[in-house]
Amino acid sequence: MNNMAAAAWSRKIGQALLAPLIALLVAMVVTSLVIMLAGASVGDFLSVLLRAPSNRNWVNIANQSVLLFLSALAASIGFRMNLFNIGVEGQYTLASYVAALVAGLAIFPGKLNILVAIVIAMVVGGIWAGIAGVLKVTRGVSEVISTIMLNAIAITMVGYLLNTYGQQYGQGRRTKPLSADSMFVGWVPFDARDGAIWTLGLLAVLAGVGISFLINRTRFGFDLRATGMNEAAAVASGVKVKQMVVISMVLSGAIAGLIWLPALFNGAAYYGPPFQRGLGFAGIAVALLGRNRPIGIAFGAVLFAWLNEQANPLGLLVGISPSVVQITQGVVVLAVVVAYEVVRRWATAREQKALRATLDKAAAASTDNDAKAVAS
Amino acid sequence: MRRTSKIAAVGLVVALALTGCGRSDTGTSKPGSGTSAAADNTICKDAKGDTKVGLAFDVGGVGDQSFNDSAYAGLKKAVSELGVACTTGEATDGEAESAREDRLRTMADAGMNPIVAVGFAYSEAVDKVSGDYPDVNFAVIDGFDPTGDAANDNVAYLGFAENEGSFLVGAAAGLKTKTNKVGFVGGVHMDLIKKFEAGFTQGVKAVNPKAKVLVGYIQESDLKGFGDPDGGKQVANGQLDRGADVIYHAAGGSGAGVFAAVTEAGKGQWAIGVDSDQYLTAPDDQKAHILTSMLKRVDVATFDMIKSVVDGAPLKSYSTFDLKADGVGYSTSGGFVDDIKAQLDQWAEKIKAGTIKVKTKP
Amino acid sequence: MTQQVEDRHEVTDTPLGIEIRGVTKRFPGVVANHDVDITIRPATVHALIGENGAGKSTLMKILYGVQKADEGTIAINGQQVVFGSPIDAIKAGIGMVFQHFMLADNLTVLENVVLGAEKLFGIGDKARAEIVRLSDDYGFDLDPDALVEDLGVGARQRVEILKVLFRGAKFIILDEPTAVLVPQEVDALFENLRELRASGHTLLFISHKLDEVRAIADDITVMRRGTTVGEADPKTVTKKQLAELMVGSELPSPQTEESTVTDQVLLSLSDVTLVDARGRQLLSDIDLDIRKGEVLGIAGVEGNGQAELVETIMGMRKATGTIRLADQDLVSWDTRERREAGIGFIPEDRHHHGLLLDAPLWENRILGHQTLPPSSKNGLIDRAGAKADTDRIVAEYDVRTPSINTHARALSGGNQQKLIVGREMSGDPVLLIAAHPTRGVDVGAQAAIWDHIKRARREGLAVLLISADLDELIGLSDRIEVILRGRLVGEFDPQTATPQDLGAAMTGGKDSAGEGGAA
Repeated sequence: MNNMAAAAWSRKIGQALLAPLIALLVAMVVTSLVIMLAGASVGDFLSVLLRAPSNRNWVNIANQSVLLFLSALAASIGFRMNLFNIGVEGQYTLASYVAALVAGLAIFPGKLNILVAIVIAMVVGGIWAGIAGVLKVTRGVSEVISTIMLNAIAITMVGYLLNTYGQQYGQGRRTKPLSADSMFVGWVPFDARDGAIWTLGLLAVLAGVGISFLINRTRFGFDLRATGMNEAAAVASGVKVKQMVVISMVLSGAIAGLIWLPALFNGAAYYGPPFQRGLGFAGIAVALLGRNRPIGIAFGAVLFAWLNEQANPLGLLVGISPSVVQITQGVVVLAVVVAYEVVRRWATAREQKALRATLDKAAAASTDNDAKAVAS
Repeated sequence: MRRTSKIAAVGLVVALALTGCGRSDTGTSKPGSGTSAAADNTICKDAKGDTKVGLAFDVGGVGDQSFNDSAYAGLKKAVSELGVACTTGEATDGEAESAREDRLRTMADAGMNPIVAVGFAYSEAVDKVSGDYPDVNFAVIDGFDPTGDAANDNVAYLGFAENEGSFLVGAAAGLKTKTNKVGFVGGVHMDLIKKFEAGFTQGVKAVNPKAKVLVGYIQESDLKGFGDPDGGKQVANGQLDRGADVIYHAAGGSGAGVFAAVTEAGKGQWAIGVDSDQYLTAPDDQKAHILTSMLKRVDVATFDMIKSVVDGAPLKSYSTFDLKADGVGYSTSGGFVDDIKAQLDQWAEKIKAGTIKVKTKP
Repeated sequence: MTQQVEDRHEVTDTPLGIEIRGVTKRFPGVVANHDVDITIRPATVHALIGENGAGKSTLMKILYGVQKADEGTIAINGQQVVFGSPIDAIKAGIGMVFQHFMLADNLTVLENVVLGAEKLFGIGDKARAEIVRLSDDYGFDLDPDALVEDLGVGARQRVEILKVLFRGAKFIILDEPTAVLVPQEVDALFENLRELRASGHTLLFISHKLDEVRAIADDITVMRRGTTVGEADPKTVTKKQLAELMVGSELPSPQTEESTVTDQVLLSLSDVTLVDARGRQLLSDIDLDIRKGEVLGIAGVEGNGQAELVETIMGMRKATGTIRLADQDLVSWDTRERREAGIGFIPEDRHHHGLLLDAPLWENRILGHQTLPPSSKNGLIDRAGAKADTDRIVAEYDVRTPSINTHARALSGGNQQKLIVGREMSGDPVLLIAAHPTRGVDVGAQAAIWDHIKRARREGLAVLLISADLDELIGLSDRIEVILRGRLVGEFDPQTATPQDLGAAMTGGKDSAGEGGAA
């Protein structure tokens, strides 16, 4: 039994660490090749990427990790039951806009305003994703198609609303800024000029723990995972798959609604030019990297945030386009899927070997038992 | 589940690859500009001087045949005429606000002064950073002071009278159209681009009251409307189908699609370029269709900013580069507007004299 | 037509036929075959029998060139051969008929046969002539232009054999060819096989149905635990002796004990009709009652509505009519409510409907019992409870596994099935639906599962048993209903019914031609 526990442990560690490490290595090699082909220096590239982050880099990495984590967490909920919620981008765009709009109206005082905005963002994100869920179960529309469409609709709609009703703001438009008492100061670990860690980073921790508990410990979570692993068996076990599809899309969208709120309530104060696009798609990559498990996603989010932050001055320091890390990020996702499969096969082979060993051990003694069992 | 991740991963990589293609498309006809890892932004390698200039590009960087290239041209001119040293930094698509700030701080920490940020997206970042570096001069092309407080006297906001330049190319379009229908293709439906639309429409109507202006935007708010040639082509084709024979684009990289649509529509169809003289950078088959370009002299603004710092009298607060300051204008390459040049210059004089006020909103 | 080769003991010295000597095949951590010795005489039917996992399929793959032996030799007609791939094997005259047909439904017989072998006779009249010739020679009765989708199971199998003959095979491996056939079809198949033997073909017949083996084979080789453990003469060996060779123990029997049927009706279906989206009737006017302590067997050729019947009772399909469990009307209940009311369900396809293959055993214990103790408490999963109960099942139902944390995928079919039976028997069910409960499991597990079904009956459960194994149905059931095209077409008393009676009813009484040696 001890042996098995150890084997199970090594398998877990193997799958959790070995595969991503291999993938990261492959991704770095591929990126280096691209850089070499483009005639730049790989040494320069690595030295910038691996240099010790400055204080403000650390703060930025922490903050960006939070956003990426929330985005990936949202995507992972759908993935766990084979639902491709590609619509995180649209869901958080719309939710961020509505939340900023309502919070800007300052209907509620101070921090209560923030709480209300958080709820609103989750409701809006959930409804927007829920549309895709309802379309899937009632009309059989693939959620991939509908969420992509809903992305376009959400982004265009937000643009229209902002252009029509937004405040004039230089060359752009924005929602009404939040009053200072509805903002957080954050936690300043270094100098003020190095920036603050966003207070609502706590949302990531809460959401991560909450979703982890929901998926692993509750009946609902079991139904969700069962549906993802084997839908037919889930149906036979009494899971109402249609209901599950809608609920998990709504849940996924609700988490997506949270994505940009930490930035909104700490630095931005309104929806407008500083809104960060593209997090929804980056989240899909991070979710894959983290195998849809909150812990894995957390590591993936930090890795992506690190790559983005460290690559930023590539152009300044060594004259390499920072876009090059997008190659690293793309390859790492592709490689990690392959690596997980390899590691999984290796683990299965080990498991089967262990099974054989158990059976063989039992076999010698059990021939008699067999006879008994059969005779009885 | 495993199947899910495989499909998703492949999908994602395809998406990334397509994004990559999209990006390099914005710099068409300049092979290799997609991998700008080694693009020809090499001027800073050998540039030496006491004044060190930091130039922070917008998304697209050197090779976008528009805004960024124009700023780079200004920098080049400064390097050769004023003898300054420099570094450049490039923005990535969908980057965080903090990434822009970090880029500016890295430049400031490295002793760059002035630091020129290309694009209004830098306004907030410059506002935050400039306070921490009171001795460094910042400039934001198309920028503005988001807070409106008077604290940033080390920041220059370099704006352009795009409406005035657009008026002139609008007049050209109004004179050249045979169908009395002209088109306007905007990249993103935002106030900055509406300014182009307003001036263009006014120019068309001024010379040809019967003409109708068909207005189309590629994106409502998504900035990818500036890097989407397919989208530009679609909008332009729609206008051609409705009878337009001159189309002006204010759509950055998406303009390549407008040129393609007009070229495919054949003889007698015209396109008008934007920002820089696009006749010079267009493929040969499209050259015959590029009537003129509305020049937005980002290079002039960039050069002027650097020069002001070198001269010891840095630009501050808002400066508008209008017709009078040679900040906007129209191009004559190809010689297609030679016959109406006199008329256009008359209109220009009227604008400079203030007898005509060009609207900034449609 | 049966042309027995005389004096089998003398022929072992001739170099003709196939000689397998000392073949050993290792996989990482496992020895799948070791010291396998078989002599297959030419123009005979040689049966290879053994439990699941005895190493038959590995040996087959080696013979057909799919895998290479690590040690040992294979000689064909005295010539040593080494196959790098099935292509080499086909060149050497070996053909393989798989258990699962590999036919394209929307193509004709001709097209299916020619596919991949176009070079031999082209795709036109020459190929057609060859197919007609083969079909006539061996009594296959196949129309080259018939669409495969219109053919019955028996005819499809003949197409598979024809494919192999078309490619010039002299040695044909048949992998459990009777598993999918009803008794009448088995008889017809055996007629074809005897024709083939008479014309000089050598057949390796893999099976674990001992009656069939004794009826058709000239020689029998028994495998157990990866090696050949003995040979037997089908003319003299008894079924019991063969079984003992196979499992190293006594053959289990499905016979039940004395009746425990009560007069309390537990499950009652009346007028149940199921229509699919295209308007076809999948089930028509089904009326049936199962009493407490009664096993009702459903016999039928696969695809005649058995699966739909089960899914209707489980609430996975919505049919019209009434379904009552004890005195409750189930019609408006969903699957989960029905399970909570005490319906245990052993699904037909355990991988598809019964297990989460990539989840550990203790999570599989929860499946279908998400809302019931001990796996669940207040909406939460009770891990400790589920694990403890999985330990109980593993012990009580003899599930051979290193740990309850092992993934279900790693277990053998029999052990997976035992886990499912244990799961479905927990929580005091009142009704057990068992669809093909012993399909694809080894003899040991089969006996254990039979025991559990008998115990369920003794404890007063109502049991609905669906099986393609007629011996199993006859042995376990108190009553048998035959289903044909979605209707119940006849009731049989297992005390008096024979597999032939059932087979005739299952095929609508038409296909009763061909008397043969089966059973």
